[in-house]
Amino acid sequence: MALVVQNVTKRFRDVTAVHELSFSVDRGAMLGFLGPNGAGKTTTMRVILGIITPDAGSVLWDGVPLTTYGPRLFGYLPEERGLYPKMRLDEHLVFLGRLNGLSEAEARVKADHWIERFQLGEYRKKRIEELSKGNQQKVQTIGTLLHEPELLILDEPFSGLDPVNSELLKNVLLELNQQGTTVILSSHRMDQVEELCEEIVLIHRGHLVLEGNLRDIKRSMGRSVLRIAVEGRRDFWQDIPGLTLLAERPDYLEFRLEPGLDPNQILAQAAGAGQVIRFELVEPSLHQIFVERVGVGA
Amino acid sequence: MRMIFVLARRDFMSRVKSGPYIITTLLGMLVFIGLSFAPLLLDYFASAFDEQPLDFIVVDYSGEFFPFLAEVVAENEPGGVIEEIQPGGESEAFQRVIDEGKLGLLLVDLPEIAFAALDGSNYVSISRVENIVNQSLTRLNAQKMGLSPAQLNALFARAELQVREIGSQDGADERDFTTGAVLAYFMIFMIYMALILYGNMVASGVAEEKSSRIMEVMIAKVKPMELMFGKILGVGALGLLQFSIWIATVLTVTVLRSAMGLGPAAGGLALLSGVPPSLLAWFVLFFILGFFFYASIFAAGGAVVSRVEDVNQISTLVMMLIMAGFFAAFVSFTNPNGQLAVITSLVPFTSPMVMFARLILADPPAVEIAASLVLLLAGVLGGAWFSGKIYRIGVLLYGKRPTVREIARYMRG
Repeated sequence: MALVVQNVTKRFRDVTAVHELSFSVDRGAMLGFLGPNGAGKTTTMRVILGIITPDAGSVLWDGVPLTTYGPRLFGYLPEERGLYPKMRLDEHLVFLGRLNGLSEAEARVKADHWIERFQLGEYRKKRIEELSKGNQQKVQTIGTLLHEPELLILDEPFSGLDPVNSELLKNVLLELNQQGTTVILSSHRMDQVEELCEEIVLIHRGHLVLEGNLRDIKRSMGRSVLRIAVEGRRDFWQDIPGLTLLAERPDYLEFRLEPGLDPNQILAQAAGAGQVIRFELVEPSLHQIFVERVGVGA
Repeated sequence: MRMIFVLARRDFMSRVKSGPYIITTLLGMLVFIGLSFAPLLLDYFASAFDEQPLDFIVVDYSGEFFPFLAEVVAENEPGGVIEEIQPGGESEAFQRVIDEGKLGLLLVDLPEIAFAALDGSNYVSISRVENIVNQSLTRLNAQKMGLSPAQLNALFARAELQVREIGSQDGADERDFTTGAVLAYFMIFMIYMALILYGNMVASGVAEEKSSRIMEVMIAKVKPMELMFGKILGVGALGLLQFSIWIATVLTVTVLRSAMGLGPAAGGLALLSGVPPSLLAWFVLFFILGFFFYASIFAAGGAVVSRVEDVNQISTLVMMLIMAGFFAAFVSFTNPNGQLAVITSLVPFTSPMVMFARLILADPPAVEIAASLVLLLAGVLGGAWFSGKIYRIGVLLYGKRPTVREIARYMRG
């Protein structure tokens, strides 16, 4: 376990933002850190990085408090982006590189490398305020990872990026991850998390809800989602007790299969309504798990 | 420590090239150049006034005043023309004053004397008329009393008070109060200006970093204390550069003036070029300590607000403290070893200015100088510690400005 978060509690005035939260991340893992708005994600990340001190609990990296490491260990992209608007792009990256513990010369080399990698070469000498929002976002992302840290903590790294740049960032993250960088990624885009992360941690109202390998979690839930397409009556399912409609798609219907229900029986029922052209049992998507665990009434 | 310099350098480099900084530096240079030539211009205009001879008409109803007046004018007003006309010719005289542009018409009917001036706002000439009228009157009265000119002189004899400070070296440490006061005023004004100018720069710099949200990136990498000192050093270096440019301008102008044969510059500027090195050392010491003390308070102020627009409210509070110091220093001029001066020269909020004033104008006891420095140094450290705490809490606090009670509670937690 490279990163261990142990019984972290943080209160603000009378609100408990994080409550006895514990989880751990393997070295080289890519972790999806999930939770609805206000769940305590940002507070947790700030506690991990030592920006705020927890009321209780500790954060360890390789068994040692993370705050004892220098700035080179990690890179942090906060949700609220911020750069100096008057600085030139290349100067700004060298400055951020130096903050991350690089020497002046190293920072220049790394900045040049990443400027090219993120296709910002033509804006090198431009001032930050002259860049588009997406490009500012890329500059900030480079500033987070140009020192190639062991641990990357990214809060909504894809927000504000077009599909092409999202793909670019995704590839960079996968590449760094393959080289051994541990990545903690917070996002509301479940499809991207599903695509990138093997591990997830889901918190809600400051409490841990779900932790572990995404595939294992899905498997443990079983093939509990049923997709059916029937040419004919679409309301056949209303006669089957215990079958809840999850989504009505243009070309199929999606149901949750409660334990105890026999899929074959449902198939027979569907066949009675018309020609069955699709019938499949699938694992729930991360989106569904998320909504189910933290949705209304959770 | 290395981070402090990375931060300070960024602050310095990004501002030194900015428009506002260059403009204030240039404007300051212009003001100093203007100041060193201003006395010259004033002299020129003043002498232009003086060269205009007095020229007025007198109607002497008393019949005994005019000879004395003529005598005084002949002695004191070279080129002065006074013309006596007999009572009854007043209306023609008035007409001549207007037509010939004379100064006016003096009507003497003792004990009353009136002057009908063509231009009542010409204070310079009218006060000269008043002066000679009074002298004439004195002579007339002296004669009536039977006083000889020698007796008259004895009556108005004045003694110049010769001031020597007890314990000062024979003549070597003789103080010219006026010179000292001008110098002190000038240098204290510089400290005052620097504290306000660069203190505000620190506060708004911090608030800018907060509102642009870059603070969160930095706070993850750098300790709040390092952030704060980086900012203070960066802005301090900017201030030092600006002041060096201004002082260099003053010195260059002074050298140029003497090269051009215009004589030494007047007022504080001339004094500045002749400041003894020991005083300059004190100046730098109090300047730097005072700046660090106030800059840390300004930084904390900037950290408490979340929008740049709110900085002024906080800055105003801090500026009032600086002004208090400035006025205390000013009041101390009249009595540099008085109780007010002694107390305010010990309190860190006012000591940078007041103690410096006392160092110029009086020889404060070494104990007091040492105590003032120790307290100021303690103030710098205490201020940095206190502001560092507020800074740590403030930089991540957005939304409404926290109340004093909330800040106190955060500092405990």
